Order: sequence, then structure tokens, then C-alpha cells
Amino acid sequence: MKQKRRIAITGIGMVTPVGNDAPTTWAALRAGKSGLGKIQHFDASGFPVRIGAEVKNFQLPAAIANSKHAKFASRSHRFALAAAEEALTDAGIRPQADNSARWGLSVGAGMMAMDYTEIEMTSRFCSNTDGADGEFQPDGLLDPKYPADPVAFCRSQTNAGLALLAQQFGIRGYATAVHTACASGGQAVGTALKVMRRGHVDFMLAGGFDSMLNPIGLSSFCLLGALCPDNDTPEKASRPFDATRAGFVLGEGAGFLVLEDWDAAKKRGAKIYAELAGDGNSCSSYRITDSPPNGDGPIQAIQQAIADAGARPEDIDYVNAHGTSTLMNDKSECAALRGVFGADVQRVAVSSTKSCMGHLIAAAGAVEAGVCALAIRDGIAPVSANCDELDPDCAVNVVRGQSRPLKIRAALSNSLGFGGSNSSLVFRHPDEVKA
Amino acid sequence: MSSKNSIAITGSGAVCGAGLGIDAIWQNILAGKSAVGPIEQWDARRWPVKISAEVRNVENRQLVEDRKLHKMISRTDMLGLCAAHQAVQQSGLLAHRDTLDDAGKTRFNDRTGIFAGSGGGNYRSNYDFYPALTASAGSLPKFGGEFSQSVNPMWLLKNLPNNVLCHVGIRYNFKGTNACVTNQCVGGVMALAEAAAALRNDEADRASVTAHDTPFEPETVAGYHRLGLLSSEALRPFDRDRSGTVFGEGAASVMLEKNSAATGRNAAILGEFLGSGCVTEATGILDLRPDGDGVSRAIELALADAGLAAADVGMIVAHGNGTRASDASEAAGIARVFGKNIPPVTGFKWAVGHLIAASGALDTVLALRALREKVVPGIAMLNAVDPACAALPVSNQSQTPRSDVALILCRGFGGMNVALLVRA
Repeated sequence: MKQKRRIAITGIGMVTPVGNDAPTTWAALRAGKSGLGKIQHFDASGFPVRIGAEVKNFQLPAAIANSKHAKFASRSHRFALAAAEEALTDAGIRPQADNSARWGLSVGAGMMAMDYTEIEMTSRFCSNTDGADGEFQPDGLLDPKYPADPVAFCRSQTNAGLALLAQQFGIRGYATAVHTACASGGQAVGTALKVMRRGHVDFMLAGGFDSMLNPIGLSSFCLLGALCPDNDTPEKASRPFDATRAGFVLGEGAGFLVLEDWDAAKKRGAKIYAELAGDGNSCSSYRITDSPPNGDGPIQAIQQAIADAGARPEDIDYVNAHGTSTLMNDKSECAALRGVFGADVQRVAVSSTKSCMGHLIAAAGAVEAGVCALAIRDGIAPVSANCDELDPDCAVNVVRGQSRPLKIRAALSNSLGFGGSNSSLVFRHPDEVKA
Repeated sequence: MSSKNSIAITGSGAVCGAGLGIDAIWQNILAGKSAVGPIEQWDARRWPVKISAEVRNVENRQLVEDRKLHKMISRTDMLGLCAAHQAVQQSGLLAHRDTLDDAGKTRFNDRTGIFAGSGGGNYRSNYDFYPALTASAGSLPKFGGEFSQSVNPMWLLKNLPNNVLCHVGIRYNFKGTNACVTNQCVGGVMALAEAAAALRNDEADRASVTAHDTPFEPETVAGYHRLGLLSSEALRPFDRDRSGTVFGEGAASVMLEKNSAATGRNAAILGEFLGSGCVTEATGILDLRPDGDGVSRAIELALADAGLAAADVGMIVAHGNGTRASDASEAAGIARVFGKNIPPVTGFKWAVGHLIAASGALDTVLALRALREKVVPGIAMLNAVDPACAALPVSNQSQTPRSDVALILCRGFGGMNVALLVRA
């Protein structure tokens, strides 16, 4: 069988609740430092859940802040622009006039395109106040006083983030935006791998960005009962695999990778974090709300990703779990790990970095892909914080207490979405790559 | 005769303002009938734009049989599931699966991919929060205690952009590789291209691909109108007097299969997917290049992907959205690839409206029909071709394809351009 084109990860950028760049984020995750706290950037005091994992003290890098596109960027677009800029700088390579058509872009974009301020403003013009029932009244949009803002309208288009990234960095090849709920970021990185292997492009900027930390997004997860309500102990609220876990903590941020042809990266002397070696995808097709308790669905995605990497389960030393800290997800995911690794499951170190940075929704899989690459580079399995009392249903080798030095030959990252889309990615240590 | 890389199309389906099912839509197009008419979904008497191509006179039960589902999904999902069901039924794959033993069924399900092109987030879903926002009168702490009184607890799941993917999976127990592309206008055609790539790459043996969108809602109409993109009169692609696009709504779906799998079960093959090309012009959210750079590069990539030359193309279904800038630059891009040898060109948006995320997928199922019938339908709304588009062999009368290959072009915000090649 023909060797698949090898793809190198040569740049990483992150904006997360534990750091506004990749080195800061990685140092915090290694140290088990929590980015969770009381929600600060809007008044959440009346909400049933008042904690979140916010990006803090964020500023756009100068290179982007001065660009005329910045005014079109929403909160999550700004995270994306900053993380992408960092990844390109880190890789030491970026699109040029003569190769911009050979650069591609693949993003996992969040589902909420409209800023809360816009929603609230529109509601004031378009809510029926006769009897104050708040029914939508379209004619309010025609009110001469309605402050229609074409820039805000453009910003709210589904692919606005993709458009801004392509324009900012001059990427003219393949470009896609995907959304499979919490699996989006992983699927975006997996799509990038496939597009590169098809030979459509030679370089790819791949990642995800999201912010649902606004009154509507927070409400929507409160309604589902998916969030941990431990308002008084936010730093302990996300406790994947723990017997007392009670839901996830909503986060926000962005993560980007620069992907290159392996041989080309070697030739230019690029630093290579890891090989992006395999992608697997499945749909649980079980229920919209629930994960299959026996791990059916995630099992197929993990197996495919390992096979796609030309690897075997015994090659995987570390798993960055989806590990949301909901009862159902963690149980289902651990069942899947037992299904794939069998008796060998206790050999494999497992952690959920959501314990420290919360759930970044559409950005989660992309940030966690970067975490896997850094874990491989440094030989460290980052801690799965707050797992004080391991749930017997989650009896896998959780990295508890503190991060663990570990030579990682290959790592697996899972992203399991609402609605049943499962994405798994496999990363290989450069030393393990056979010529 | 199938090319090495081609993928069989064994099912197709569609629903839009021009009809429920491809037959009905096709007959209306051939008859020169446009589905564009007065807006009915809200009282638009005071609106500067009063027209759209709505799906009218179709009951929810005709779209999705299972009534329980009606409350759990949104209108765009209903339309998507309706088209998907048509394609699945036509493919005969469920009956084929019934003939397999248990291990065969499991493998069948695990090897059946699901791809969706979705309009993504919409404005309509926010309206569910208006009663709570109104009741709390700008006080966030009050809103925080209010929303659970009036918003459906399943609000988030009802509005997932990937709902069609999930529900196609659950309904038919398909469990294979999947993607939901939310890339505005090109989402549907990119879902199709990714599904075909997954089959070529042996990630699946077959895949359901569905594109769906309901872009037509007050805030998009108001927003597009302010940007000068909507016509208040009619959608006239490539016409000298064109004045913008007109929204439609609907969905289109195909079932793709590896050629070997389709022939192995003696399936009726409607056509073949031959290749795709996808590029962005990197011009930002709204702008596009007047020279049609993205159009020509996407076409060239698709031809290379299919192993075809421009001269092999028998007809072109253009994006033809009726805006000044898009139609002129599209004509320039086509001319750059085909020179003086452009095959018959048509477009369908004058009849079905602009379905945004579903537009290119609907064009694709209609292109397959056109190839089979050997008719390139005329653009009934075309009165006089714009000099900027004069190179294009467009007509308000039917033309004849010059081969069994069709090129479908789809363009979107973000400078996106996608080209697909199919044969029938």
C-alpha cells in the first residue's frame, strides 16, 4: 500500500482560559492551574450557573489590531485571529504571493454567530410589547430608529470567521468551516489532514474558535442541565472521571495549528512538534442528548484514527480525553477506551485538560490537538485535575494529582459532540516516524 | 464507462419553493415557471423587499412523517430530512441492507457516511429569548432568573447546525464518517465533495449527503437588502437589468456509493461524481474579485481532479445569483477557462430562489436531471444579456448539452468558489 503523505505540525497557537498564548496555556496545564472562575465579562449573578472559563485580559496582537478587518471580528473571531497569528509566527512560515493558493484553511466554528448585544438590541425593537409577551415583530427592523449596522450583520454570517482568517493571512486555497457541536475542532483538524493528503494544498492553517460565554449561550446550556452548578468552588467544578462530577464548565477560546508536508518541513529545517498521523470519524446515531453507555460510536472513531495512522492500540501512550465532566460523557468515553485497549487500558495515561480550562465547545478539539503535540514534545502527560475519587465507571489510568513525565510515542485526542459526531485524532512523536 | 476516481450517485431528492421532489421542480423549470412570489411567512406589506421563493402549501407531515420530531428540530432540518429521505428511498439501500446478515448489517452501518451542508446559525432561534428579554427589560440578573420560564429546555439541541447529520444517522442507523460544513453558500457542495473524497479514500462505502437552508427570515432579508444584494422585482441571472438575488429555501440530497458497491448490488445509477475544486479569493466577507479569479481556479482544480479537459464539459450550471458583481465576475472566470469554446450555460436560481447553503446541491441534482434528459433549460427571466456576460451562451430557451458532463459552480461569502463535475 502506498505510504500516505506525512503531515507535520510545525506551529501552534492558543487563546484559552488558562493563557493567551500556547506557552502560557501549556505551562498552566502542566501545573494543573485552573482557569475557572466567577463569570466577569457580563453580569451572571442572576443565572443558575455563574461560573465559567473565561479568556482573561485578552488583547489582539498589534499585527492584527491595526488591520482594517479587525472591526468585523466578533469575540471568538478575535481569539481565532490571535491564535492563528501565533501559530504562523511559531511555524516561521506564512502564505506568500507565490504560494498562497497552496495554503488551505480549515476551521471549527461555533454555532452562535450573533453577539448578545445585537440580539438584545434587536429584541428591544422587535418584541411585541402589547401585553408584553415579547413575541417577535418583524416590522421593528424597519423602524427608522433601528440602528442597523451592516458590519455587525456581516460579522454574524456563518463563515465570517473563516472569511476574516483567509483575508488576514492571504490564504487562497481550500477553505472550509465545519460544525459538529463539541467535535467541531477535532473534525476541522481531521479535515485539514485529509485535504493535505489529497494534495489539494501543501500548507494548512487548521483550528477552531468559539465563545458561548454570553447570556444566551450560558442560558442554553443551563436549560439542558449540562453545566456544573458549583458556583462557590469554580476551580473544583470541572472534575472529569471523578465520582462526584456534576457537569461541564463552559469555556471559550481558540486553537490553531500550522500543518506542512513532512519532507518539506524537514527540508526547511522547521521544528516539528509531532506528526498529525491519523483521523477517525463516526456517528453514534444513538440519541441526540445521550452518549451510548457502551462506547459504541467513539470506539469506531478511535479505531479508525489509529488504523489511519498506520498504528496499533499498543502504540498509544497518552489519551487526551474529551472528558467533559458530565456523568454520561465520561462513562461512555471510558467504556470506549476499554473497548479499544482491552486489558492494556491501564497502560495508557488518560487526562482531560478540560479539568483546568473548561469546555471550549467548537474550539475544544483544536486546542486539545495542540496540547497533544506539546505533550509529545515535552514527554509529559498533563494532569487531569480534580479527580479525587475516581468513578468506578471511569476506571482507566487517569493522570491524577500531578502531571506525569512520560515518553509518548503516540497520542490520541477525542472530541465527542452533541448529536453523536465523534472525532479522534492520532499524533506521533517525530522519533517514531520511519523514513 | 466510469473514470477511475468517479463515485456513483444512486439516489437524489429535493424540496424547494418550486416543488416537493425533483420531478415537480424540473417540470416547473422547463415550463419557465418561477417559484418567486409574495412573502407569506410574515406580513411584508411595509417591507422594501416583498418577494421570496418559499416552500408553500406543504404540511410538516409531508416533510417528516414522525410527528414527535417536529418539535425537536427546526424548519431547515425538516426540509433537509425530507430531501434525505427521498434520496435514501430512491437508492434502495435500506432494502439491500435487509438482505445482509447481522455482521453484514453492522459493517454496512459503520461504513455508511453522513454529510451535511447546513446554513448554520440563524436569527430566528434568538426570537425564542425575546419574551424573557422583554420581561427582564435590560436587566441581566433578571434575565438570568427569567429565561427558564419561557424557553424550551431543548432550545440548544433544536438549533444545532448539525441536526440533519444527527437525525439522518439516527433515523437510518448510519454510523460512519461524517461532516457538517457550515461555509455559508458553499456548505452543501463542499459536503458533497468531502463525501466523495471519503469514498475515494475508502473511509466509507457509501454516504448520504444533504444540504439544507432557510435563509429567508426577516433579519437576513433586512440585512441583505441594506447591503444592496436583494432584488425587489425578480432574480435575472446575467441580465442587463438584473438587480440582485431573491431568497429561497429548501434542501437537496444525494446518495453516493463506490462504483463497485453500486454495480455489485445492481443499483440503478443516476450519475457519477467526477471531481471538485474549492478555493477562496481571500477577499473578506462580502467582496469578490471582478476578474473571477476564484471561479477559474476552482474550475481548473475540478477538471484536474476529474482528469478532464475543458472541452469535455457539456454544460454549465452557473451560480448566477443575479447580483451585479457576482454574475459579471462569474462570466469572466468561466471565459478565462473555456475561452471562445464555452458550452451551454444556465442557472436555476431565477426559478427556485437562492437557497444559500443548499443552492449548489440543488443545482447538482438538477444538473443530473438535465444531462439525463439532454436538455439545458433556459433562464426564463432573461430578457437581454448583460454586455459584461456576453461571452456566456445563456438563453431564455432550452439548449442541448454537448456532452454527458456538467460543471456546477457555487460561490459564497468569504470569497468562496467551488466547482463540481458530474456525469449522467
